Amino acid sequence: MASLQGYVDHRVLLILQDGRAIVGVMAGFDQKSNVVLSDSKERVYSMDEGVEEIPLGLYLVKGDQIVLIGELDDAVDQSVDLSTVRAEPLPPIRY
Amino acid sequence: MDSAASGIQEPFDLIRLSLSERVFVKLRGDRELTGVLHAYDGHMNLILSDVEETIMIVDQVEGSANGQNTVNIAKRKIDMLFVRGDGVILVSPPLRT
Amino acid sequence: MLIFSVFKTLTDQQVTVELKNDLSITGVLKSVDQFLNIRLDSIKVLDEARHPHMMAVKNCFIRGSVVRYVQLPAEHVDTQLLEDATRRGRCTAKTMTVTKTTIALTVLSDLWRDAQSCIPTLYSTIQVFH
Repeated sequence: MASLQGYVDHRVLLILQDGRAIVGVMAGFDQKSNVVLSDSKERVYSMDEGVEEIPLGLYLVKGDQIVLIGELDDAVDQSVDLSTVRAEPLPPIRY
Repeated sequence: MDSAASGIQEPFDLIRLSLSERVFVKLRGDRELTGVLHAYDGHMNLILSDVEETIMIVDQVEGSANGQNTVNIAKRKIDMLFVRGDGVILVSPPLRT
Repeated sequence: MLIFSVFKTLTDQQVTVELKNDLSITGVLKSVDQFLNIRLDSIKVLDEARHPHMMAVKNCFIRGSVVRYVQLPAEHVDTQLLEDATRRGRCTAKTMTVTKTTIALTVLSDLWRDAQSCIPTLYSTIQVFH
């Protein structure tokens, strides 16, 4: 079973169907891969300026909307200065 | 050869008879594959080997009406590929070449 | 069920998952479930310069429904076994079109078949039962 159990209480990156990227601590999940994140922030990528972080707080994301959940290596994540990162936003899922 | 003699009673029989043969697969997103079919299921999930993928990329020419589009074709080869069934539009039996 | 079994036999192998948002992720297949959700370890995103979003991600869970392709290690796929299992398996819409009188029998035989095919490492031995 490709379970999400190992991600609980870990900082994770969620990529959603519409291309948004959200980081937060996984507080819980269920069978349909609905996910609750605490202390979450959206990371908005653009080519014109560095990554903007928008605080979202406690967030419930529907499983349907999720593309990918990645466990963040905190040391690596904190070593990156997001204000220097320029990238296109991830494309949305098509069909 | 009628349908009884060829053993074809339903659409999936056509795919079953294509096992271990080279098939043509049309996919959503302007993609096409040819490859040797090794497995499939009722969702039309497929496993193919020796695959060639063709992607058609339509570039709209700036400020022009229809008919001015150029189509770029990208090809690549993959040894062994699982294809998720929800992207499959059609599977066509062996290419007799 | 067949494809699920195939993926289970490929755990600990390196695969490349191509998503419907055009992201390609290479990693070691750690697990898979009946929805074909996939867990990958030691991941690497193709064209990382263009996609720095996942720089700090070392392992991930991918939702089955967003997968377009999975590139498999050909040397670990027994194509003959796959073809036999596909021919034998319940791969048609037959079970959805059976008449009421045959449902009971079909369900019984399918249960038996499912019970066998749940054990991926033994799917070469299934023909013994047939």
